[in-house]
Amino acid sequence: MTIYNPNNLPKNDNLSRFAFVVDVAKEMFIRKGKMIAYYGQMQFESLGSSLLDILVKQSFNAPLYINNFIVTRGHGQLILGDNGNDIACYDLDNANMTIKASHLLGFTMGITCQESTLPGFLTLIGNGKIIASSNGPVHFLEPPCRVDDQAILGWADCPSPSYRYDYEHVKGFVTAVGAMTGISLSGEEKQIDFSGQGTVLIQSSEVGAGDGALAHLISQIPGLNKHELGSLNAIIAQNLRQRN
Amino acid sequence: MPSYTQINEKLIEITLNNEEVYAKKGAMISYQGDVLFSRSFLTGGGIQDLAMRTATNEGYAMMLAKGTGKIYYGHNNLFVTIINLQNEMVYVESDVLLAYDNRLQIGTMFLGNQGGVQGIVRGAVSGQGLFTTTLQGSGQVAILSDGNAIGIAVTPEKPVFVDPDAYIGHKGNLSSNIVTDLNWKSFIGQTSGESYQVKFTGQGTVYIQASER
Repeated sequence: MTIYNPNNLPKNDNLSRFAFVVDVAKEMFIRKGKMIAYYGQMQFESLGSSLLDILVKQSFNAPLYINNFIVTRGHGQLILGDNGNDIACYDLDNANMTIKASHLLGFTMGITCQESTLPGFLTLIGNGKIIASSNGPVHFLEPPCRVDDQAILGWADCPSPSYRYDYEHVKGFVTAVGAMTGISLSGEEKQIDFSGQGTVLIQSSEVGAGDGALAHLISQIPGLNKHELGSLNAIIAQNLRQRN
Repeated sequence: MPSYTQINEKLIEITLNNEEVYAKKGAMISYQGDVLFSRSFLTGGGIQDLAMRTATNEGYAMMLAKGTGKIYYGHNNLFVTIINLQNEMVYVESDVLLAYDNRLQIGTMFLGNQGGVQGIVRGAVSGQGLFTTTLQGSGQVAILSDGNAIGIAVTPEKPVFVDPDAYIGHKGNLSSNIVTDLNWKSFIGQTSGESYQVKFTGQGTVYIQASER
């Protein structure tokens, strides 16, 4: 096994499938809690704190996700990891890319981050680097194609997708009721339909990165007391209201 | 002496020649040859050590495998790393310990001894307790990690900062202390989520995993 030191750490590249090294020279956005180690001098600041506001106003335009991201400042080498998910880096050159919000780990200044019209996705526009995780290596597809909405990671340079329902599945009475109420969809009868020119990014597995976080949360629940469970309940209810 | 071979990233093979090896309960995948398995209470330590582990919750269910043959170990889809020790001491969290044998002396260490009050804070922050398992001597030990284990060098000139949740172990002459990023914002609920880091200084290696427990 290789022991890494500041000289043999890769520069802005993957350390392994699951870890990514960022050479931090100026401010960048990273997802909260995804730092696993660093060399050098670094500070981590939450968004919305005084000095950063001017910067944030220009680059971060997604109030729903403001609590999920922080700004790192200083210089050094930062290692990111995401629950054993694969990590990849994408270069944007005057382009746009939309990515599942729960899989976005970081992006550099020069990129503007906005909410996509499809809920749960963020659109990144501009010049710079994007770091994202995926369950299994990312696979690239060219439209026209249809993708399971649990396996989708994102898309670049193509028109916003639409949902397509498989009529054969909707036809039956039981599945029709399920489809109308929005429950009981396996993903097989509801697909995301891409057309036009561009690239579609899919993950190797259907289970999203969010599930790792969920499993972690659930594992913490037995340790909470009655009062803490109550406030957790309130937070969940509040978040649900915001998303609707 | 038992020899450890990495079969793939998630599987190791241990060859025994009328020898013993201690391994995590439930991690045995298969074996060939004449090997007996039994529940081990002392796990290579003494009675006092057992009492210490029970009292400090650094308890681990270990199986003793004894005989001649080949045993394959893997656990829970986790990655396995073999660490070679040359008259060194390695500190690992007890739940990541997969296999070791009696070439190594096992013990339990109070981390508070290492970093004073800071060590106590570490336990409180990471939820991993104040005690950690130590293995000392010359030999091999297999550890588990979610994603491959990453070894990070620490030198006196270049300290390293680690997320307590990603930490799995360290070796060498290192001292750790908690670094906080706390300021007034932390107290009004606007934390950055990276408020606590463990700073390692000295000479040695820190092992981390690309995942937060």
